[in-house]
Amino acid sequence: MASLVSARGVTKRFGSFTAVDNVSFEIEAGKILGLIGPNGAGKTTLLKAMLGLTDCEGELSVMGLDPFRQRKQLMQNICFIADVAVLPRWIKVSQLLDYVEAIHPNFSRKRVEELLRQTKIKSGSKVKELSKGMVTQLHLSIIMSINAKLLVLDEPTLGLDIIFRKEFYANLLNDYFDEERTILVTTHQVEEIENLLTDVMFINDGRILLNSPMDALAERYMEIAASGEKADRARGLGPIAEGQMFGKSVMLFEGISREHLEGLGEIRTPSVADIFVAKVKGARK
Amino acid sequence: MINHQLALVKREIWEHRSIYMTPAVIASIVTLGVLAMLAFASGFAAELDVAIFGAQNLAGEPERKAVLTGFFLGTSWVFLVALMILTVFYSLDSLYAERKDKSILFWRSLPITDAETVISKLLTAIFVLPIATVAGIIVTHLINLIVLSVWVSMKGGDGGMLVWGSVALLDNWLAAFIIVVASGIWMSPFIGWFLLVSAYTKRSPLLMAFMPLIVIGLLEGIVLRSHVFAENVLGRGDGIPLFRKANIEQFFEDEQWRIGENATSLLTHIDVVQFVTTPATWAGIVVCGLLCTGAIYVRRFRDES
Repeated sequence: MASLVSARGVTKRFGSFTAVDNVSFEIEAGKILGLIGPNGAGKTTLLKAMLGLTDCEGELSVMGLDPFRQRKQLMQNICFIADVAVLPRWIKVSQLLDYVEAIHPNFSRKRVEELLRQTKIKSGSKVKELSKGMVTQLHLSIIMSINAKLLVLDEPTLGLDIIFRKEFYANLLNDYFDEERTILVTTHQVEEIENLLTDVMFINDGRILLNSPMDALAERYMEIAASGEKADRARGLGPIAEGQMFGKSVMLFEGISREHLEGLGEIRTPSVADIFVAKVKGARK
Repeated sequence: MINHQLALVKREIWEHRSIYMTPAVIASIVTLGVLAMLAFASGFAAELDVAIFGAQNLAGEPERKAVLTGFFLGTSWVFLVALMILTVFYSLDSLYAERKDKSILFWRSLPITDAETVISKLLTAIFVLPIATVAGIIVTHLINLIVLSVWVSMKGGDGGMLVWGSVALLDNWLAAFIIVVASGIWMSPFIGWFLLVSAYTKRSPLLMAFMPLIVIGLLEGIVLRSHVFAENVLGRGDGIPLFRKANIEQFFEDEQWRIGENATSLLTHIDVVQFVTTPATWAGIVVCGLLCTGAIYVRRFRDES
């Protein structure tokens, strides 16, 4: 399948600090990729480079375009939500729709009005009069009314309550996503979205720690809970992380086949969050 | 491109309601002032009522024209001072507010270049603000001329002839339009500078815009004992080559504008060819272009995270 995003040796430095360090990856069309990393890992910088908001070293191509130099063309086929607070507070909903309609060639006014009818948002309201959740609904409605190939969401549900967060992702999946579209999402609440993702990428200290389809994770990573002599034998297989729970040692393995672990304890598929923590801690050692 | 500019300029008007609210407020204040003045004058004896505008035998033709032209220029002057202040605050806010409230990330998520955005703000400062101002002037004049003519008619005078017949409305409105647009172009290096500061500064755009200008002027005076910067940059507003008289102050001191052949027409004092052919006009446009390029560069390359 054709790559929508192609990065080769992408690096971004701020003075002596390297925010993104020689990163290479491909994103194929029709995927939902989760970009997971701790604060300061470089994920927002990487997104900004992909969105043409910041320049970088290396080769970066998004839909065949140089994001920084061809940002205007790129933005016709990319949508992004950088943060829930970015819609201008002074603007009226109707003005916002008028503006996007005048500017964006792929925006459907009919579609956004249909979506907004399902909410409590009034077209005469100003953004500052809306609750945080409604602002996100408004932003998402606009985004979902743009026929874009790539949707980039940077912490889109930050500060929202659990009901809005669930609704946000449900709307995204039900009303937006199809095999023609690609979604790239970063979030701290990885457990909320791990069931939506087709692929996952971990980033830490500007480097990619893991880049894998979700279904391959279950084959590559396994967790067992063992005790006593079995735990010692499991430890001998080189777990990438180990913790204690209910008197048992819980060990996480990478690239060890199921046959090797069978008989040593209860085998489970670890959560993305557990794999992420293990990889980040491993990288820091 | 033109559709984008229209949408962008419309957005500026939505965001900066002061663009149309300021002229509207001034128009209301002037009208209320005139109404109050007429109500006050009506309280006096009948002969005073008619003396102001009403009777040709008490006030001669040139004097009446001079009073009305004075009213025109006086009210226009209030609008022009407001326009100057508005332009400074608008330009300084235009690229600063969007960074302060982080809405820049939303604006930049749409297929619009930074150059288009900065140009829309420049066009708003140089053309939209003046057009709103001239509209305010025209509406104020019309309302007040109607009020005055009704008042004169009520006092037994011929309102149509005595008020409307005394002023060259279209001439003066066209003159007002040329003056505000030419002033915007003439002062465009300052607008470019304000846009650059607005794109660059992290705080206090007003201070950051004026402090360097004042410091450079003072330093030049103290260290070099010269006033080239002060005269040519800070004093640029005095030297607009738009009037037949070289100096605007001299122009207003000149009695000719008030009583005489051209008493009611400001247009006859304006020389657009002189304005367009003066090298300093074009030098200002070039400087403005360079400063706006700087503003585009800063908006494009600055990392707002």
